[in-house]
This record gives sequence, structure tokens and C-alpha cells, in this order.
Amino acid sequence: MSEYVLELKGITKIFPGVKALNKVHFQLLPGEVHALMGENGAGKSTFIKVITGVHKAEEGEMFLNGEKVDFKGPKDAAAAGIAAVYQHPTSYPDLTVTENIFMNHEIKKKGVLQWKEMNKKAQEYLDELDAGFKSTAEMGTLSVAEQQMVEIAKAVSTNAQIIILDEPTAALTANESQKLYTIVDKLRDDGKSIIFISHRFEDMYRLATRVTVFRDSQYIGTYDVDKITNADLIKAMVGREISDMYPKTEITPGEEVFRIEKASRTGYFKDVSLSVKAGEIVGLTGLVGAGRTEVMEAVCGITKLEEGKVFLQGKEVNIKNPTDSRDLGIVLLPEDRQKTGLILSWGLGRNVTLPILKKFIKKNGFIDEKAERETAKKFLEDVDTKAISVFDLGSSLSGGNQQKVVVAKALAQDQMKVVIMDEPTKGVDVGAKAEIYAIMDDLAKQGYGIIMISSEMPEILGMADRIYVMCNGRITGELNRNEATQEVILELSMEKSDKGAEV
Amino acid sequence: MAGKSGREINATPQNTLKKSILSWEGILVIIFLAVLVLCRILSPNYTLNNVLREMPKYLSEIFLFFPMAYILMLGEIDISVGSIVCLSATAGCLASNAGTPFPLVILIMLLVGGLCGVVNGLIITRFPELPSMIVTLGTQIIFRGIAEIVLGNGGSVSVTDSASFRAISKRVGPFPYMFFLVVICAVVFVIVSVKMKFGRELMAIGSNRRTSLYSGIKVKATIFKAYVIMGVFSGLAALFLTAASYGANTTTGDGFEMDAIAMAVFGGIATTGGKGKMIGGIIAAFIIVCLRIGLGQINMNSQLILLIIGILLIAAVILPNISASFKAAKKKKSQA
Repeated sequence: MSEYVLELKGITKIFPGVKALNKVHFQLLPGEVHALMGENGAGKSTFIKVITGVHKAEEGEMFLNGEKVDFKGPKDAAAAGIAAVYQHPTSYPDLTVTENIFMNHEIKKKGVLQWKEMNKKAQEYLDELDAGFKSTAEMGTLSVAEQQMVEIAKAVSTNAQIIILDEPTAALTANESQKLYTIVDKLRDDGKSIIFISHRFEDMYRLATRVTVFRDSQYIGTYDVDKITNADLIKAMVGREISDMYPKTEITPGEEVFRIEKASRTGYFKDVSLSVKAGEIVGLTGLVGAGRTEVMEAVCGITKLEEGKVFLQGKEVNIKNPTDSRDLGIVLLPEDRQKTGLILSWGLGRNVTLPILKKFIKKNGFIDEKAERETAKKFLEDVDTKAISVFDLGSSLSGGNQQKVVVAKALAQDQMKVVIMDEPTKGVDVGAKAEIYAIMDDLAKQGYGIIMISSEMPEILGMADRIYVMCNGRITGELNRNEATQEVILELSMEKSDKGAEV
Repeated sequence: MAGKSGREINATPQNTLKKSILSWEGILVIIFLAVLVLCRILSPNYTLNNVLREMPKYLSEIFLFFPMAYILMLGEIDISVGSIVCLSATAGCLASNAGTPFPLVILIMLLVGGLCGVVNGLIITRFPELPSMIVTLGTQIIFRGIAEIVLGNGGSVSVTDSASFRAISKRVGPFPYMFFLVVICAVVFVIVSVKMKFGRELMAIGSNRRTSLYSGIKVKATIFKAYVIMGVFSGLAALFLTAASYGANTTTGDGFEMDAIAMAVFGGIATTGGKGKMIGGIIAAFIIVCLRIGLGQINMNSQLILLIIGILLIAAVILPNISASFKAAKKKKSQA
């Protein structure tokens, strides 16, 4: 018997025109949590799909407990005890938790489904994971974190020995992540082997004992987590040294450009006041659902502000809709680039000029398309978008580059004074992250007021001059760069209901 | 700027002749020519003169097609237009019979149509959670219902001042007046859709409504405008229809919405919004009209004609998908 539960040797997977995996190796020890890291497009997902039998590798061998296996499809992999849990659970939202867990391996007696038994069993699995919901609950009513738990319960119910978690924490809050960690610990203690894919270094440090890095479809190396430094790991992933992840320049903030006073919207947030000065990066943090995005959307006229005042350069302004907000120069870069930031089916150029079409209207009422393209080209080059032409479709870019296009779209609005960036680096890989931070720093230097909504502690601590923390729809604290620590912020974000009264 | 690596991004458009022939619009032109040749072979009467003589019967549907294309590009739909035509025609006929001067009659028809459009637009923009299909299904019934109430027992009205209405269907040479108006509208609608801000924003809203909203586009106002235009053009269609039939009845304009939608879809304008070109829809509209005239000339019965148009329509929806998968397969091959 081999020392490894799962071993892959020299796996090559070719998609038309690209080698998605080039002779990669991987070894999984029994009962270990093994992190798999690499930038977007490094081949992690393809690799997982080879393991789970979705893709068939052109070259290479796979061994399960020392025996050579050859999966014809996902069913073979599942039968061999391999289960995968994805970032966005691929479940049936209208069915109950039990139905989801036992999908495809229902308990039957003479062809009749045994719901009572299944419900009971499902509940047992959930209890074991310390889940606070019933097995009869409808899947769609659960949070992403809870849905993930169901997926994990499903993996456990099939008696999987190898569980693959694909970016499980990406959609979770700090609290939920903590809970997930405990679950993973428990699975490991039960003797399961776990492959953990994540962009978050904290995940890896907390959970994994070993980490394998892929880059550009190739195997770079496998390291012991406690022996590799952060810098070395980044270098392994990116292929170059990132000297400074957070290139924050010390600035002396100028005049106040933007202020919100006592903003309220019933059920979402109450008495929110904050301000930002020219050249300042203000962080707005807190747990997901604390009301951060909601405040900014209301201020920008996407939803309604019920109470409160908004001041721009000291003058009170009345924003009724996003058009007012745009024309005043308050630009919101939304969190979901694909659904609210860009039109993916359009070329990059037209995406950039969408808010400023008015500028290109000639005397005869027609759009001056040449001027439009030149403007788009200039701003896309300014943010260093990795694109060949302004006609490249939005959908053809990676997350990081899509974010750059969204920034270009904001920059092209020359009336812009305040930039509100909602989770600017969500789903962006580490190399592009550093570039986006550099762009932010640059914007600050040019005198824009920047509000950065973020749940990622390192970037809040690394980039913000001043930090507001929100909890339950209220601002629970304001910190300067030098007094902010992870602990203080966490405490403020999780303040209990004795202070954070009803919204 | 930070991170500027001097990377150059190309901004010159590359349109090749091959590309434009292989586009859906290119294929439509070929189909159009094929239809003309086919009809000419089938029917000896299929001459320019004769085709133009019969054209007015069908042109009012083309008037409905123009704004319908905009509404589809927005990702909305309006199935009440047939009823608007009916209501507007009824109003026009009654006003004319009551002795209203003819220019005022025209105005009333356009106004009634526009008002119906306002109603649709208001409901749809005020209650965004209601699908426009359902809203306009409701108003489809309501508008025709009002017309039926107004028309009363007889269910129809004939115009007494037929001379004024006849003047509209006059011709310059073989060309009916209406034909010139269609050409002018076609040009205007194409230009607005490709060259002007309104057209661009229309496509933006149809492609991604949330992104458009976040970009500061007045989404609701644009949708509202499209429905009002639709209403006014329904009034226009009603005018030409009345001019051809000297009256209105409870079935006036029945099913016109489907003809207009069919022309747009055949022309490559997707009902999901954000896709297709005005020009494609216009070619498609003329294909359908010319085919109908041709098949009518050889006395093919009208049910069979509908059948053929139905098949064409489904083919039009399927074909681009097939050709897309062909292209993808070819691409795969060449890359491998």
C-alpha cells in the first residue's frame, strides 16, 4: 500500500489550443489538509475536474491508495469516495436539505423513498457539523455558508474519503469562515483527506499542513506550510517578487470632499455619518450584511435614502437617482463586476464610455465613435488592462482585468471627485490585486476621495488612512491607520446587541 | 499612472467584406433575393408594379415593427399593439364621422395610440417586478375591450368621409405614399439605433439593466419613451389601415403584434434584449411582405402562407445557433 491516498503523476490536460495542465504532480497524505494555490487560470479548477472525473487527462496516471485508477466520469470518482464542494453550491434551491443531501443516493425500500429515515439521517449529519438549521428546510432559504454545509454533509453522507473544497471561504464572512475551519478540522480528525483551494492566505495558514502551488498550468512545488514564508509563496504563485503588496503612500489629506450625515434607511442602516477628504482612502469594513453596500447604494440613488444629508465639497446635494450621482462626480464601483459593473457581451471600449456618451455627441446628434474609441483606449491603457483591442469583449477578461476596466470606466468620468469601491479585489488573484492597490494609491495621489468597502482585513489595514467599522446597520467605530488592528476591527464588527439597537 | 507598462491597446475597427456577408444580415439579403427570384418563377404577375400595388396592405405591420424592435432590444415586449391599432382606428373613424376635420382626425389617432403607450409605459416602469408580457397582455384585453364597448352592438364602423382617407393611399407613380414614409422611418430608426445615444443606451439596458443603472443611464425613462413611441406608431398603423379599409371593427389589428415580433425575430433581434440589428429586422420585414404577396398571387391559401412564415421564423431562431456551434467547432479544430 502506498503512503498516499491520492497520487497524480504527470497529468496533462489539453483543451483546444491550450495546455490547461502540463505534467503536474500531486500527492495527498491520509488525514491531511492540503492547500492548492495559484493565480486564476493556473489550472487548479481543471486539475480538480480531472480528479473528480469531469475531465479526462490526455497524459498521466492517477493512483488511489496505491492502485491505478481510470475514471470514466464523475460517477466513478464519486464511487471511489471523492467528493467536491464548490464555492457556489450547485444545489437545487427549491428542494429541502434532505433531498439535496440524498440526491442520487436516496434510501429506498422496494423502490419507495424512505423520507423519514433520510430526514433523520440528514439531521444527524447536520448536527455533527453543528449546523443550526433543520434538514427539512428549503435549500434556497439558507445562506451560502449554510448551503456549503449541506454540500459537506452530502459529501459525508456518501462516505467520501477525499473531500475537495473549491474556494469555500470566498463567499463567507469572517465568522462563517471560522465555523468552516472547525468543520474542516473535524473532517480531518475523522480521517478524511482534504484538498483545499483558496486565494486567502489566512485559510491556508489556519488549515493546511502542506501546500501545492500551480502556475501557468505547471506544477511549481509542494511546501510545508510552516516552513515557507509568505513572500516565497507569493513568488511561487506569481512567478515574480511582489516587493510591496500594499503600496500605500503617506499623504496629507486635503479638504473634505464628501460627507454623509445621519443617513438612515429603515431595515438597512441607521444614523450613518462618515466623511472623506481629498487624497484620502477611507476603509468601510464590517461583516457582510452589516449594511455597508446598502449605505453607498442609497447615497448614490440606486435605492432611497430615507433620512440624512449628503455633502459634496461642503455643499449639500440632493441625489435622487444614479444619474444625479454620476453627474455630481460620485462614482460607485459595484462589488459584482459581472452583473453590475460591466456589460460582458460588449467590447471594453463601449463599456468605458457608457456613462460619458454625452461627451461624444457631435453637432448633428451622432456619436463620434472615433473619439469614443480613442478615449476608451487611453483610459484602458492607463490602468494597464491586459487586452488586445478596445473591441475585446468584457467576458474575455479575468476578474482582475475586469476590475481594471471598471476603474477605467470611472476614471473616464472627468467630473469624478469621489470613488466608492465595493470589494475592489474580490475574486482577484494576488498579482492583479497588487496592481489594483497601486491604482488606488495613484487615485489618492491625484486628489480623489476614496471610499473602499472591504471585508478583507489585510487590505483594509494595508490601504486605508482611516477606517469606519459597521455592525448591524450602524457605524460602531472610527479608527486611524495607526490605531487599527485586526483585533479592534473584529471586536467592533461583532459588537453585540446591547449597543447596536434596532435599526 | 501606476502600473503603466506601455502596453498598447488597439482601437482601429476591422471590418472585412467577408465578415459582413457572413453576418445574419448578409444571409437575410441572400434570402430576400432568393424569395424575389422564387416568386418571379412561380408567378408571372410578380412585377415591381404589382408588388408595390399590393404592398400597402402589409405596410402597417412594418410601422409596428420599427418601435417593436426597440422594445425587444430593451428586453421588453408589447403584445398590446394590435389592440391599440383597433382602439385608435375606432376613435379615428368615430371622430371623422362626427364631422371632425381630417387633420384633427389624424392627430386623434396618434394621440389615442400615444396615450395607450403612456399607460403601458407607466405600468411597466412603475412596477418593474411585473413582466411586460403580462402587463401588455392585460392592456391588450383592456384596449380592445374599450374599442368593443365604443363600437357597441354592430361591432364595426365605416367612415363616411372616405375621400379624405382615400387620399392617404394615393401613389406617386407606382409607389404608394406610405412606402416613402416607411423608407424614411426605416432610415431614422436605423440611424438612431446605431449612431445616437438613445440607441446605444437602449442596447445597454437590454444587455445588462443593472450595469446601465449603475452607469447613470435613465433606465425607466428610456423604457417609457419606447412604449410611447410604440403607441404613436400604432396610431399611425391604424391610420393607414383605416385608409385601406374605410372603417374599423372589433378584429381590426388582431394579431398584428405577432407579425411585428416575427419580423424582428426573423431579423435577428432577440426577445431577450441587447441583441440584433435594426437593419436585419427591416430586411426580414420586407422578406415576409414580399413572400406573402408572391404566395398570395399564386392563390396559395392564407393558412398555408402562415405555416410557411412560421417555419421560416423557427428556422431563423435555430440557424444562428447552429452556425455558432459550427464556428466554435471550426475554431476548436484550427486551434488543436
